Amino acid sequence: MINPLLELKEVSYKNKNNFTLNKVSLRIKSGEKIALLGKNGSGKSTLISLLNGTLKPNKGSVKLFNTEFDKLNLYQKSKISTIWQDLRLIEDLSAEQNVNCGLLGKQSFLFAFKNLLNISSFNKAHQYMQVCNLKESIFSKKIGKISGGQKQRVAIARSLVQESDILLADEPFNNLDPKLTSNIKNLLLITKNKNKIKVPNTTLISMHRLDLLDGFNRIIGMKNGEILFDLEKTKLKKFHLNKIY
Amino acid sequence: MNKLKLNSSSITFIPILVCIPIAYELFINFHIGGIELLKEFIISALNPKINNEIIFTLVKRLNETIFIAFSSWLISMIFGIIFGILSSEIFFKILNLPIFLKRFLNLFLTFMRSIHEMIWGLILMQIYGINFSIGIIAICIPYIAINAKVFSDQIENINLKTVESIKQINGNKYSTLITLVWAPVIETFKNFGLYRFECAIRSTAILGLFGVGGIGTSIFLSFQTLNFRELWTYLWGLAFLIIISKELLNKFNLSNSSKKFLTSIVIALFCIGLFSLSFFVYFIFYKNGIPFNSINNLLISNLNFNSYDFLKLLLETIVLCLLSTGIAISFPPIFILILNNQIGITIIRIISFLFRLIPPPVLILLLLMFNDPSISLAAITLGLHNAAITSKLLLANLYNQDNKQYIAMKSLGIAKRSSWLFGSFVKQANSYLAYCAYRSDIIIRETAILGVIGSVGLGWQLKESLSSFAWEEVLVILIAYSSIAIIGELINGKIKSNLT
Repeated sequence: MINPLLELKEVSYKNKNNFTLNKVSLRIKSGEKIALLGKNGSGKSTLISLLNGTLKPNKGSVKLFNTEFDKLNLYQKSKISTIWQDLRLIEDLSAEQNVNCGLLGKQSFLFAFKNLLNISSFNKAHQYMQVCNLKESIFSKKIGKISGGQKQRVAIARSLVQESDILLADEPFNNLDPKLTSNIKNLLLITKNKNKIKVPNTTLISMHRLDLLDGFNRIIGMKNGEILFDLEKTKLKKFHLNKIY
Repeated sequence: MNKLKLNSSSITFIPILVCIPIAYELFINFHIGGIELLKEFIISALNPKINNEIIFTLVKRLNETIFIAFSSWLISMIFGIIFGILSSEIFFKILNLPIFLKRFLNLFLTFMRSIHEMIWGLILMQIYGINFSIGIIAICIPYIAINAKVFSDQIENINLKTVESIKQINGNKYSTLITLVWAPVIETFKNFGLYRFECAIRSTAILGLFGVGGIGTSIFLSFQTLNFRELWTYLWGLAFLIIISKELLNKFNLSNSSKKFLTSIVIALFCIGLFSLSFFVYFIFYKNGIPFNSINNLLISNLNFNSYDFLKLLLETIVLCLLSTGIAISFPPIFILILNNQIGITIIRIISFLFRLIPPPVLILLLLMFNDPSISLAAITLGLHNAAITSKLLLANLYNQDNKQYIAMKSLGIAKRSSWLFGSFVKQANSYLAYCAYRSDIIIRETAILGVIGSVGLGWQLKESLSSFAWEEVLVILIAYSSIAIIGELINGKIKSNLT
């Protein structure tokens, strides 16, 4: 049996608002493209925060490369990148500086300092920004001064530039028009592309749009903090979807 | 009968009631002995002394003032930023340090902040003698702590979710920290840091009155010899310096300068600051360490307080704070309401400029010409000085706000003053009171200056204890001052959070 890259075992979590995730187990293997479905408030974002180690479970364990999250070193942790639903960009920095922040895990303190001084190299950041359909004219604009769709793509570029192995994306297609949605979905699901950039091999994307399920090979459905189904894309039937919506 | 309900606007006017006891005490202590001198003082304002010798002295004193103010501003800004970061929660979160260290650091900074630079100056002068470095260090001590609080407050405003997202990239801790704090630090420096230079000039002038050097020393010497024409030459010189520095800083618009330019300045300032600090550390511990002329007294001193007298002084200080704050809050809106026309507002602007310009110690000495020392005299001095500052802010905010409501009320035939009160002032009352709450923190600290000169409250006792090298007494007074300031800060903090 192939060891999972990322594993949640009997994980329970309760937040301040009494939202509960109850005994959730999940194994994510290398190369999987997972769509995470569920209504608003079903627990998708909480699950993603548990998977990337931002939230700590009350019970159960979260393991990456078969190691408990607390025991991982920074290099191992940097193998996961996240696109947050609320983007979490730094408003006072420019778009390119924000994308460069994605490189903090692989670079020294001097790089961080040079990035803030605007004197670091932006080549890699620009490459990823272009792939995300961002125009050169917005590269140096502050986040506060660009549109919602552009911010969304800056956040995507920031997570891609990390060149991680696993991508966790929480509703990454928000604010994007249909053409951009299709481009970004293809970018996130295809590991090699014409731009020769590295895209995470393993992807978990939470979303609402059922018309975008092409290209995924595994579908997980959540409701009220529980996983109601977890199956191959080919086995997904309408009644599965009726259970969660 | 309807119940009385207070709102921000009415609360702003009620403190005018403090004028009743103040006016009574001033009236019974009034004497006409100094009226002639006051007349001479006022006339001299329009006829300052101008000759080669005085211009030369003025330029020399202004240079000293700039040197002390700039050095203290620079050092306090750099270390304010450093301590601001170190005392922020984000620093402890990212570096996984125990939170009790933050509390300890905050307590230390609160103590530094709670004592006015003049008190630090008097203490250091008593230990090391008079020189420029004392002025710089005395200003730096509370300024570093004040700046640290402002920077730390701004850093705490960073969205915790952004902190999580940057942490999740798993860069090294210091890269994460600098990436998160950079933008708020730069923004705060632009909005607050440059203004602090003006504050440093004013503080230098006040310390100068106590002999540290700079323009304040000349002002005080002129006052002692009752040479008012000379005094006004120095006062106008100080006004010129404040206005010019303000204009220059306004021109120095950081938002238009390139990031590279800005950061080069930050790095240069940082290096200069470190150099300055090393110089002063050397100065304190090696150069001037030996003439610590009071060390024996420090060891043998004992507490000679009569506890009843001490409590009386403590109470006097608290009453002084309350009375001054009452004046600072209520005078500006009342005078704007009464003199609500173009000429009236111009008169208010000119008078408030003069009250801001004349340092409180000089003002109280002027008032002492025809009144005996009392809490009321100190309160009116401190209150007027601070009312001049609050009126500047109120006028600026009223000028910048949308006047549609005021115009609409006037068009309904409502009297001009009522239209102003309900159409303009009501909108500003909340923020004005919040600023006054912040101002009263400063008033609490400034009571020390008036105490020393005006013979009231703990300031007077501090002067006595310092003169007799009674260090234990000095320590008790410092703790008392600090306690009043900290309690005041806590109360004002609650008021501010309720208002905003």
